[in-house]
Amino acid sequence: MSVVFSLEAPYRGAYALHRLSFGGGPGPRVAIVAGVHGNEVAGTHALNLVANMLRMQRPRGTVHLLPLVNTMGAEEARKRWPFDDRDLADAFPGDPDGQPVDRIAAAVMDATAADVCVDVHSGSSRLHELPHARAPLGGRGLELARAMALPVTVRRASHASSGGLVDAWTDAGRTALQVRGGRGGALDVGDATRMARGLARMLGALGMLNGTDHGAQAAAGLETARTTDLRAESGGFFVPEVAPGERIETGALLGTVRHPIGGEMQEQVRATRHGVVLAVRAWPMVHARELLVRIADEVG
Amino acid sequence: MLICPEVAETRDVLSALDLPTGESVPVVRRSFHGEGGEGPRVVVVAGVRGDTPEGTRVAVGVARLLQPRLSRMRGRVDVIPCANPLAAHLGVRAVPGFDVDLSRRFPGRADGHAPDAVAAALIAAMEGATQVIELRGAHPAFREEPQAHVRADQPEACERAASANVRVVWKRSPPASDSGTLMACVPGLIALEGGVGNRLTEGVGIELVDGVLNVLVTLGVLPEDDLPYHWAAIQRAVVADDSRVVRVRAGRAGLFLPSMAPWAEVAPDEILGEVVDPVSGDVRETVTAPTAGRLLALREQPVVYPGTLVARVVADPP
Repeated sequence: MSVVFSLEAPYRGAYALHRLSFGGGPGPRVAIVAGVHGNEVAGTHALNLVANMLRMQRPRGTVHLLPLVNTMGAEEARKRWPFDDRDLADAFPGDPDGQPVDRIAAAVMDATAADVCVDVHSGSSRLHELPHARAPLGGRGLELARAMALPVTVRRASHASSGGLVDAWTDAGRTALQVRGGRGGALDVGDATRMARGLARMLGALGMLNGTDHGAQAAAGLETARTTDLRAESGGFFVPEVAPGERIETGALLGTVRHPIGGEMQEQVRATRHGVVLAVRAWPMVHARELLVRIADEVG
Repeated sequence: MLICPEVAETRDVLSALDLPTGESVPVVRRSFHGEGGEGPRVVVVAGVRGDTPEGTRVAVGVARLLQPRLSRMRGRVDVIPCANPLAAHLGVRAVPGFDVDLSRRFPGRADGHAPDAVAAALIAAMEGATQVIELRGAHPAFREEPQAHVRADQPEACERAASANVRVVWKRSPPASDSGTLMACVPGLIALEGGVGNRLTEGVGIELVDGVLNVLVTLGVLPEDDLPYHWAAIQRAVVADDSRVVRVRAGRAGLFLPSMAPWAEVAPDEILGEVVDPVSGDVRETVTAPTAGRLLALREQPVVYPGTLVARVVADPP
């Protein structure tokens, strides 16, 4: 483990950006980042699981892991950099002479100089997401996303697939992906484990892990370019009837919106397409038109 | 729509935030219809962020001064005193419950969640307006001199902003990453700001009210002989592009203790303040002016990291 960047802090020890590096010989170079949002700890745990595996098996090529970028945010269960409440995910590619988050973002870009880069995120603190990959419409990025064999792969046009880090990597000519799963402010060990296995399968597909068979263990998930958001018609109290990962048919009951005081039914939320439940609202108090359930559409 | 019989003012709800408990919080537009004939339509919007009460104070101040002048006013002025009432009632920047910054959601989506729907409603309310004026406050960590921001590619807005009773008109060339801002969606926007974030600053509110009224005079909405200020009191702005607004950053962490006041004249290398160790008081860094000019903004929240902005200087013309 090494500190690749530090930033003096006024009342405490310096902020440190830690990187775990494995291998180092000839072969592909991969960088995996988690914890850009301080409250998304499923990714941090996933990367630590990957680190444990790489300690037991030296990879061919180089793997850089940055399990927790926003340490100060994580200490307070906050998504953003706590000092000035800025979102690190909006700061990429950063500026080494800019404000603190810009400097951290620039350091992350420098510390992830690799052929393949993966940014791991969770849903917001109010949304539980199924572990899935977001990949470009084609090319090597899509092949590697397929190799992860996560329950869902969502294909998106370049520069529309994720937050700023994936876009900045893409602009820098790197193969860039995003993996998402779990929800902010909570650790679901199962989600973290599935993401870790997916990342390991990707390393296996790159030929970096000899003698392992991470790729064949999981059935191919749903691959889609289309998702459907079901939103509340009015404010209320959302009671879900489905969980992330469930396969649903058109018309299936996904949940109900009730009055928070008294519980009178206001709305039934039903699937408008068949597919896999990609995300479910975890915090029940909802405003009008807020996202309740996201479906990965099964098309064709 | 409510019609107030004594004055030619109408009120309507641009958008509403439906809360989980059933309450609906309206975003209200007050429209002042001039009785002096046809004329331009001007939209004045404040409180896009919830920590900018100065803007709302200016908006209601403008509305109060328009009411007795409607008989000679031309055209129409729409005043939206608070675009983000949920955030304003807590004095926070982002929309509570959504944790999104409304000022980054434009042009919004009419069928989106509440912040996006509000953003879309605001954009719809601005369509076809001759001039849109956004009233902001300062960043909560700073004291800002009264200033106008316009896009560098909008010379007409720049000319009008120069009459807004501000010290500086800052012609900005925003990066593409600012695509969700109001200024990105409304190119001719004039954004007025000043004072201290989340506070009212003595004098600034009055200056900006006079500034908005003077822009209305420039547009021919109000006659210039019936105003609460003398024309000679309107200050002429320094017009500066991005190259002349120089950011000064701390190089060390600690407490920034300024030694100058906003709008002070500074010489190159003149001391602006010190960054001191918060425990020992030892000076870690002396912060100096990078160029000759005037202090447009000065950090008042003293805690700084390396890279934290502590001042902006408007450089003297070359």
